[in-house]
Amino acid sequence: MSDSHEHWLKQIDAELDGEMSLAERALLAKHLAACSHCSGARASQLEVRVALARSAGDPHARVVPRPTIRGRALAFWAVVALVVGVAGGWLAHGRWGGPGGALEDVRAAIVVH
Amino acid sequence: MRRSSSISVSSVFAIVALLWAGQGPGTRVTYRVRVVQDGDLELARGSVSGPAGTDLRFALRDDTAEVEALFQIVPEGDTVLVSGEFFTKRRLGRSRRGLGLWEQDTYRRSVRLAWGDTARVHLFGRPRPGTPPSEGLWVHVVLVRGFSGGEGRPAQELEVLDSTMDIVLEAVVRPRRAHVVMNLVRGDTVSGPRGFDLVPEAPARRVQLAMAGRTTTLEIGLARPEPAKSARDRVLALDADVVCLRIATPEVAQPVGVVCGRLNDVARRLPLPGGDTLVATFAWPAGR
Repeated sequence: MSDSHEHWLKQIDAELDGEMSLAERALLAKHLAACSHCSGARASQLEVRVALARSAGDPHARVVPRPTIRGRALAFWAVVALVVGVAGGWLAHGRWGGPGGALEDVRAAIVVH
Repeated sequence: MRRSSSISVSSVFAIVALLWAGQGPGTRVTYRVRVVQDGDLELARGSVSGPAGTDLRFALRDDTAEVEALFQIVPEGDTVLVSGEFFTKRRLGRSRRGLGLWEQDTYRRSVRLAWGDTARVHLFGRPRPGTPPSEGLWVHVVLVRGFSGGEGRPAQELEVLDSTMDIVLEAVVRPRRAHVVMNLVRGDTVSGPRGFDLVPEAPARRVQLAMAGRTTTLEIGLARPEPAKSARDRVLALDADVVCLRIATPEVAQPVGVVCGRLNDVARRLPLPGGDTLVATFAWPAGR
C-alpha cells in the first residue's frame, strides 16, 4: 500500500471520528470520488463502527465511544504497582538473594575452624 | 666401624622421621567427618581411613542440590594441605515442559591446616553477611594420622542421623598392585586358573597358560586407564580402582588387546587370534 493511501486512510479515520474541518472533509470527498480503493475502505470502516456501536448497545451512535482512562486513576495505579514491585524485590532479595547471585557466593568454601 | 654405626643410626632416624611425616608406607590417614546443620543438628557422622594416599569421596544430595567432592591431602611436616575437587548441581527451576533445570559447576578449593585441626567445609558457600553464624549446612573434617599397625586396607563407616538427605562417604584408594587371575577358554575346555600380582605401569612379563596339552605364551602388563571422558568422573576419580590389562603375543609386536575393569572379581573376556578366549578377573591383592 502506498504512502498516499496511508495518508487518506488516516484522513478517513479522522473524518469518522469527527475531527476534521470542513475544508479537509471537502478535500477528502474529492479524493474519494476519484479513488475506489479509499471509498471502499471508508465503507468498510463505517460498517465496522456500526457493528461495534450495536454491540455496545447504541444502534444510533454516530461515533463509537472510546474507552477513557482518567489521568489520576492511571497515575494512582502506576504508583501502586511501582511500590509493590520495589517492596517485593527488596524482600525477595533479602530472603533469597539476587537473581542467581555471584557464583563465588554459592560455591563451597573450606575454612580452618 | 664407628662411622658405619653413626650412618646406620642416622638412617634409622631418617626413616622414623619420614614415617612421622605421614609419607611412609606404615602411616594411616583418617578423615573424621561430621555433617552439621544450623550449628547443632548433626545429620551424619563417620570416618574414612586408609594408607597414605587414601582420598575421601563425599556426596550430599537432596531434591534441590547435589554436592560431590573428592578430598585429597598432601602432608608437609606438621601441616597438611587439604584440597577438595567439587562437582555441584543446583536446581534452578523447571522448564516449560515441566522438567528440572540444573546448574552444574566444577571447581577446586584448598586450605592448609595442622594435623588434628578441623576444616569446616561450607557446602553452599560462606554464610551471608547479616545471617547468624550458626545458620547453614557444613561438613567438619578432622585429619588424623597414625601408624597403620600392619593394616593396609581402607576402611569407612557412616552413620546417617537424618534420612532426608542422601549422604555418602567413601575411601578412594588407587591400587599399587592388582591380583589378576587368567584362564583360557575354547569351547567347553577351560584351562586351570593362574594368578599374578601385577604392578601398574611395570614392564610387561611373559606368562604361559596350558590348555588341553597345548601351551599359550602371552606378554601381559598392567596400566592405568585413560582419563575419564566426563568431568564428573575425572573430578571424583570414579575410575580410581580401574586397571587395564594389556595382552600381547611374543610373535606380534602390536598388543592383541586390552581388558579394563574394576578390582571386583568380575570375569572379562578377550578373544585371542588363535581362537581361544582369555578370561581375566581383577581383584585387590591379598593383605601382606
